[in-house]
Amino acid sequence: MAFETVAAMPQSRLALRRPQRGRLRRWREEAGASLFLVPVLIVFVVLFAIPMSQSVYYSFTNFNGYSNDFANVGLRNYALIFTDPTLASALGFTITYAIALTVLVTLFAIPLALILNRKFFGRNFVRSVYFFPAIPSVAILGLVWGFILNPLGDGVLNTVIHALTGLGPVPWLADSTLAQLSTIAVAVWTLTGWHALLYLAYLQSIPSDFLEAATIDGASRLQIFRFITLPLLTPAMTVSWLLLMTNGLKVYDLPITLTRGGPGFATTTITQAIIQDGIASAAVGQASALAVLFLLVVGIVVLAQLGLSRLLERKYT
Amino acid sequence: MSLFRTSPSNRSRLVSRTAIALGASLVAVAALAGCSSAGGSGTTTVSFYSWDGTATMKPVIAGFEKANPTIKIQASYGTPVQGYISTLQTRLNSGTASDVFIITAENKQQLMDGGFVKDLSDEPFASNLATAAKDTYTKNGKLYGAAVASWGGGILANEDLLAKVGVTTPPTNWADFISLCTKLKDAGITPFYEPADGISVSLAALLGIENQKLNGQMDAKIFDGSSSFAKTWTGPITTWSELFSSGAESRSVAGLTGDQVTTEFEKGNVAMIGTGSWALGGIQAAAPSLKLDFLAVPGVSSTYWAGAVSPGYAINAKSKNTSAAEKFVSYLQSSAGVALYQKATASITTTKDFTPTLDPALSTMTAAVRSGDFYLPQVSWPTHSAELNTEATSQLQELIQGKTTPSAVAADLDAKLKSLAG
Repeated sequence: MAFETVAAMPQSRLALRRPQRGRLRRWREEAGASLFLVPVLIVFVVLFAIPMSQSVYYSFTNFNGYSNDFANVGLRNYALIFTDPTLASALGFTITYAIALTVLVTLFAIPLALILNRKFFGRNFVRSVYFFPAIPSVAILGLVWGFILNPLGDGVLNTVIHALTGLGPVPWLADSTLAQLSTIAVAVWTLTGWHALLYLAYLQSIPSDFLEAATIDGASRLQIFRFITLPLLTPAMTVSWLLLMTNGLKVYDLPITLTRGGPGFATTTITQAIIQDGIASAAVGQASALAVLFLLVVGIVVLAQLGLSRLLERKYT
Repeated sequence: MSLFRTSPSNRSRLVSRTAIALGASLVAVAALAGCSSAGGSGTTTVSFYSWDGTATMKPVIAGFEKANPTIKIQASYGTPVQGYISTLQTRLNSGTASDVFIITAENKQQLMDGGFVKDLSDEPFASNLATAAKDTYTKNGKLYGAAVASWGGGILANEDLLAKVGVTTPPTNWADFISLCTKLKDAGITPFYEPADGISVSLAALLGIENQKLNGQMDAKIFDGSSSFAKTWTGPITTWSELFSSGAESRSVAGLTGDQVTTEFEKGNVAMIGTGSWALGGIQAAAPSLKLDFLAVPGVSSTYWAGAVSPGYAINAKSKNTSAAEKFVSYLQSSAGVALYQKATASITTTKDFTPTLDPALSTMTAAVRSGDFYLPQVSWPTHSAELNTEATSQLQELIQGKTTPSAVAADLDAKLKSLAG
């Protein structure tokens, strides 16, 4: 019946109705598909947008987390951040940690990926072994490494060093500098295998024709790596650096389980300071100001890093 | 209506998509919303957010419910310290806190100042509480928490290792203590460890001696500006730092936790550790053959104990079951309730109508702890306890490493207090 009605219509009206119906159908289908976004949207709004907006609001108040009877204090919480030496120290270590982690993991993961990309006996087993540190919770790894790096003479590493060299115990976690280096080293150990597999996935997508052509043209292994492999890995680097940098800036679990932020404030991170201020010190306003400021810093750093990565991608691919 | 203009296949696809999407949305909303229920008929339910674990509180709650069959306790258990504090903070802020919860050094200022806890001054059980317990949770003459126990901190000694260097009597002054440590070290025995993840018990006791000299007014004077950390803390910190400058204690303790130190002691690797009475049960269970004795911390000319009143029970000021909650807290202070609690924890209870049976190793500290002769700065500070504790811990870790001086530590605490009071 509908067909007859349409057939009886003048051609001009029919021409008008067709795109309208098409648009309407598309809109309906899109609306139906959009409904699938609702659950995610609810989660995003409830668990991120609302708390984030609240944090911004609280950052201008003296809210202590207990009483809703609080006052507007303007920019005082932000001013306190810049005058607190503890927070400056925490910011310094957090940035050092994030940059060191990004650089060192990249330096270790790419060569490891190249090795794991070759054919050798037990390759899958070796790949699994390197991937393993990424499986357990970082908090558990922190506790295990705390046992290994115990600064006393019967710590695992100190026992090995003493047995091999006769040297006395090294204060791995009891000296500020060594504790910082130990924390970074454990993080690098934990993440190198995972990122190596990420690079491996990209390596396997490089067409073998490129490598064969370069070999026929007489390129050395180093030249192949420098002029073919590395440029084609830049998309992987973008992903890897983004993950390393954001996770590095937000780090909390490893330092808190390995060193508890010490000795002194040597391995205290910004997230630890936010939690300390917000919960233990009941200074939610100040913690919120720190969180907001930190969000901006992370945003700027990540945008800058993404810009750099895109630049490299454009240059080399 | 627009649905009816689509083809049947499109229509059914759209309907099912919509249904799935709405269903998923409902699941998400339900998952986020959570739910709560209360009630029961014939009985009153008192909610209780416990600091102690199930093993400790289950028999106590069972004892109460047996004695009060019309009241049921709905207990939930927190993880001290930060986990408990943050959860209680959130519940109080959202108006969902339990009828009875814990007030402790870390949250007492916020709870008392914010009017979250009921005044217990006129409760009959208040007279059964120890003076130190009442003082700890009293503000402006009003009592807000009922604590049934205290803990003491001192030097836990392995008597067999001390006997190896011919020492059978405890040192009574600081010089003798350092001398004992040196003697042990010369004999190849690690003399003393103390964790640096907080203000150590030995330093707390040395500060307690200073507090005694000022008639217990040291912190009041620091906070009202008539004294300072520089004037009162520099001396005790200087004495304490001799542990490291003399080599009596390894600087490696800057990176050790209480658990690591305790493990070393249990293995017989160290002759003495600074710890609290709470650690005794675990050590005896792990190393039953050790002969143990708690020694008071020797000062320059006298000895003293570190220690503090344990967390107390508080009643939510907005509780709708105040009468039943009062009965529960009253039972927790009664000899029957305290007996069950003491049996589960082996703690040094301080209520007046119950005398605990304690491990012989605690005999040296029992009288002092029950009478409140102990000191712990972070509990004694009237405000900004958490911030100052964090700052002091970090500064002391720097001092252990030899990266700062006692006077600089004290000056830093003065600066921190000034900025907090700001």
